[in-house]
Amino acid sequence: MSSSSTALRELQRDLENKANDLSKLQKDIAKNHQVRKKYTIQLGENELVLKELDLLNEDANVYKLIGPVLVKQDLAEANANVRKRIEYISAELKRLDSSLQDLEEKQHSKREAILKVQQRIQAGKAKA
Amino acid sequence: MGKPEVKGTVTSLSSVFPPEEMQKAAKMVEGKLSEKQNEMNQLKEFIADNTSLINLVQKLPDELHHDIMVPFGKAAFFPGRLIHTNEFLVLLGESYYADRTAKQTVEILKRRGKSLMSKVDALKAEMQDLKAEASFFDSTASEVADDLVEIREYEEDNSTERVSQSGPVELESPSVAEADNKVSASEDDEYARLMSRLEELEKEELAAEDEDANANATETETDSDEDELTEAAFHRKKVEGYSSLDHNQRYLVSQPRKQLQQSKGKDPMNEEMSTTYNHQDLTNQLACTGLTAEPVTKGNYGGEISRGRIVHQDTKMLNPPVNASVPSEKTSLKQIIHDSSRNEKPVQTPKSEFDSSKAFTGSIIEHTENLEKKLPEQKTTSSQSSDSKPSKPVSRFKMQRK
Repeated sequence: MSSSSTALRELQRDLENKANDLSKLQKDIAKNHQVRKKYTIQLGENELVLKELDLLNEDANVYKLIGPVLVKQDLAEANANVRKRIEYISAELKRLDSSLQDLEEKQHSKREAILKVQQRIQAGKAKA
Repeated sequence: MGKPEVKGTVTSLSSVFPPEEMQKAAKMVEGKLSEKQNEMNQLKEFIADNTSLINLVQKLPDELHHDIMVPFGKAAFFPGRLIHTNEFLVLLGESYYADRTAKQTVEILKRRGKSLMSKVDALKAEMQDLKAEASFFDSTASEVADDLVEIREYEEDNSTERVSQSGPVELESPSVAEADNKVSASEDDEYARLMSRLEELEKEELAAEDEDANANATETETDSDEDELTEAAFHRKKVEGYSSLDHNQRYLVSQPRKQLQQSKGKDPMNEEMSTTYNHQDLTNQLACTGLTAEPVTKGNYGGEISRGRIVHQDTKMLNPPVNASVPSEKTSLKQIIHDSSRNEKPVQTPKSEFDSSKAFTGSIIEHTENLEKKLPEQKTTSSQSSDSKPSKPVSRFKMQRK
């Protein structure tokens, strides 16, 4: 009797741990989504900037705001910078996508493990 | 055969859509809808600001300099002048600025306005979807509240089916009917109606067919070479076909059944045709061998008979090449009808034995006008223009289906 109740308690503790892990995973997934959103917006903005820069004449003045300073920049340089930023953001997005997939898989497996533990608890309670 | 079996289930809506979940779903949708509404409001503000800015930028270069009150700190102004009224430092995005004139600035602003408008449109579409969802939930919630009950009936359409095939067909149709219970019942009625109409049209066409068939004799001579090859293949398949015919029949019948349930109109006709063809295959095979010599000489008929026969046996293989020339099902159906009508002629008598067992008496014609139109169009294809009585309705429809 006591052994079965301790086994039950262990199973319940196990369930709690798994539930905590699952909630952590869910938070990670939510964060991932947020960061992804931010990056997507930035990517869109950068593409807009690139379009506008393409429409500028060669001799137009381009400035970049670095902190409180407005620094004059070369058009070609600005173009190159914006392009590099776009590439960087896309790479980041891809990385985030893969990590999101991993997190989702882990979440899935955690859910299954939780189910199993729950079933065992049910079986244990039925026996006792 | 003609008696439809009706099975049914009665499910209370409240079991399918429990009321609490309905309310939760409705609330969720409402929440999403309000979110979208807020976004929409924000976007509309942006657009308003954008337009007012465009107006300002357009007015500034009217003067060389403007006298204004310049804000100084948080709570002070001092009088000042706005000079260089045609030079604007425009924010391009991501902390990049560019010097632009008033006109160029206005262009940039207009482009921004356009992208904002497209975002608003996308948001509107989303909101429409959400509203549709919300209305659906509301209606089902009210139905649940009224204790409405969902009744599903499965009806098999055996009215036009042959007795021999009723077994496998009936087995299949309930399962299929379950998938589209309401739709299948109406489709069966449609199907029956279509089939009876087809029979009527066929009979009409048979009379006209005789005249047209002779006119097209010359056109199919080029096909005779192909026909001979196909005839050989057909003979081989005939032997195979005998043993597997029953199986094929079942398979083909059940297939069209499913198609019948799932696609309205066209497939029912095909199904009926294919089943009739299946029946006729056995008896016609013998007739075919005897007739193959004749069709070759006749040119017109030869190609079609062999084609029709082969189609029976191996519909899948032949259907693509045959169908390649027929883009639409209707045209192929008519072609098949044309084919069969050509072929039917020499083979009419042996096939008539089966007619009694089949719903289709041999000539299946959907629309007399269309068929006649197709006659001139299909000269290059295997089916000649003449109306076709399906001496082998099965093969044609099988071809058509594939």
